[in-house]
Amino acid sequence: MGALAAMMRKDLRLELRSGRSTIALVALSLLIMVVLVFALGASATRRVDSAAGALWVALIFSGMLGATRALNSESENGCIRGLLLSPLDPAAIFVAKLGASFIFMAIAEAAAVLLAILFFNLDVGAGIARLAGVMLLGALGFAALATLLAAISERTRAGDLMLPLLAVPMFVPALIAGVKASSLTLSGAPPGAISQWIRILAAFDVLFVTAGYLLFEHVVGEDQD
Amino acid sequence: MNRTATNSLGAASLLLMLAALFMIFLYVPSEAEQGIVQRIFYFHAPLAWVAFMAFGLVAISGIFYLWLGDSIWDDLGYAAAESGMVFCTLMLVSGSMWAKPIWGAWWTWDSRLTTTFVLWLMYGGYLMLRAMADDTPQVARFGAVVGIVAALDVPIVIVSVRLWRTIHPAVLVMRNGGHGLEDPRMLATLGVSMLAFTALFAWLLLLRFSELRARTRLAGLAQRLAMAQAAANDMPPGAARGIAEGAS
Amino acid sequence: MAAPVIETHGLSKIYGNAPMIREPVLREIDFRLLPGHGAFVIGGNGAGKSTLISILAGLCAPSAGVALVFGQDTRSLAARYRKRIGMMTHQSMLYPNLSARENLEFYAALYALPDPAAAAAGWLERVGLEAVADVRVRAFSRGMEQRLAAARAMIAEPALLLLDEPFAALDAESAAMVAGLIRAAVMRGATAMLTAHAAAEIEGVSFDLFELSSGRLLPAKEETFKEETRRGRLRSLLGR
Repeated sequence: MGALAAMMRKDLRLELRSGRSTIALVALSLLIMVVLVFALGASATRRVDSAAGALWVALIFSGMLGATRALNSESENGCIRGLLLSPLDPAAIFVAKLGASFIFMAIAEAAAVLLAILFFNLDVGAGIARLAGVMLLGALGFAALATLLAAISERTRAGDLMLPLLAVPMFVPALIAGVKASSLTLSGAPPGAISQWIRILAAFDVLFVTAGYLLFEHVVGEDQD
Repeated sequence: MNRTATNSLGAASLLLMLAALFMIFLYVPSEAEQGIVQRIFYFHAPLAWVAFMAFGLVAISGIFYLWLGDSIWDDLGYAAAESGMVFCTLMLVSGSMWAKPIWGAWWTWDSRLTTTFVLWLMYGGYLMLRAMADDTPQVARFGAVVGIVAALDVPIVIVSVRLWRTIHPAVLVMRNGGHGLEDPRMLATLGVSMLAFTALFAWLLLLRFSELRARTRLAGLAQRLAMAQAAANDMPPGAARGIAEGAS
Repeated sequence: MAAPVIETHGLSKIYGNAPMIREPVLREIDFRLLPGHGAFVIGGNGAGKSTLISILAGLCAPSAGVALVFGQDTRSLAARYRKRIGMMTHQSMLYPNLSARENLEFYAALYALPDPAAAAAGWLERVGLEAVADVRVRAFSRGMEQRLAAARAMIAEPALLLLDEPFAALDAESAAMVAGLIRAAVMRGATAMLTAHAAAEIEGVSFDLFELSSGRLLPAKEETFKEETRRGRLRSLLGR
């Protein structure tokens, strides 16, 4: 759909010009990894599941940041009203914002994975490619969840607190599955063991992308009651 | 809501609860392995049932609210969330009380307890949202969306947590005393207890729901009053008085 | 008689949840606007002009009563009707980090115009911004921004224009330009509803005049209109 493509192009352009560059993103991932390494202790760096856990913590933080930023681009000059007034389907706004958050998270996660390889002495190989796949699945689900909830928390008092309060409990199943899948991938487990976790991640993604798509129109409007 | 209905429900739940307590403490035999502590199960299981059922109610109310727009659905959902939260908290407490004598720890990452904990967090998020967003006209819509999405998430939570726990047999797993209810008296006690807690929930729900309905109606009346006052301000003083006198 | 473009029955709006209900912003407004006509609504600050425009645009729901645009309830305007509405508000709805051209091309694409680039270029010329077409809106003056906002509102040739204080704080040249655009739109058959603190005259367009006060929308008397216009001219002379 032409309007959706225009939305995504516009969001991409705005993101590139926002002045808050990729460097800040990478820095955030670095800091999270550093904190976790020191918090978990040096012996943790020898364990693959610590690496997996650290990566997913980084994913959650960058996800919350990404979703709120994606939505904030509409708050200046009342641009969101321009979108709501137009013939654009509100669900298309969801898709565009989801896409923007997802790209943001993917970049942050790429940085985190590189740092994890370094800090946790991970084997670079086919496992990393599969790990990237798992992380992307997780990023998609969290981006969908966070985009939907950020539209709510944006309009709520203590919104910065509200988003993690709502998002984290709902993300638990994907977090469990994602960390397990990541950890198993990194330790070279056979695909059979990993597939059940992947299935959970996939189900989560389908649920939240669909739910977000259908429900976004109810959370994005102004005073509609 | 009808006073009589509320009161009868309250009376019924009281009676049922008394019956359940009698059965739990005096009637049913102790379970062979866990001894007397196992009786907590007759609280724990019904609490779990109510907590999950209430959550479903929040979601269903949310769907109806988004679909039909009538605030009665929102009031029902909010009341269900508040009442459900009580039972969910009690379930966590009873689970903890059960774990301590059996396993020596106040908390175990048993799949059921963990799932309930996640449910409790989601309840908490919903209630915090309602509290923080109460000055927004869209608070009802937000609540509905959060309730729906959270309820849809619950099955995935259950599956993932169960899978998570079974892969780690080393961690303490609290056995569900529900398997192996040999004595028919145990089943009967469980049944009565379920009924009692469900009735109690229904009563609390009804009370809270009536309160919220009254509040909503009050808001509607306040709006109409504001409109009437503004209209009265338009009129010359004598006319307004005349209307007031005519009304009384 | 053609069906009205705008129609309201008992339209009311109150803000606030109990117990903090504030005074009604709009009260029992019954109003009609026929196609090709123009309405000018005068009101002071907080009189409810913006609220009325928001409701008619479908962005906000009434507390009571109903608002119909193109015969459709504004609370559930289908996309094909939203396509025919152009709105200007206090906020420009322009992305500050995009250039004028990018903003217009985006909106043109949003409204499914067949050639967004050409439409954008054409409108940039019409509002005299072709020289700064590729400058970011962030750098624009108020007058330039408002002209661009007008272009944004009209780029899809809407059948209904809802303009909330389109001339506010504008320099004379920009105001004249915006007025000219409104005139051109009305000439080609659009319906226009404008609000302002003080009435302005747009040459060649006759408006039905209304006053919004204490939440009621009433036809403005000719004298009030002239008085407001006079005050309006005075105010703009004084730079306010």
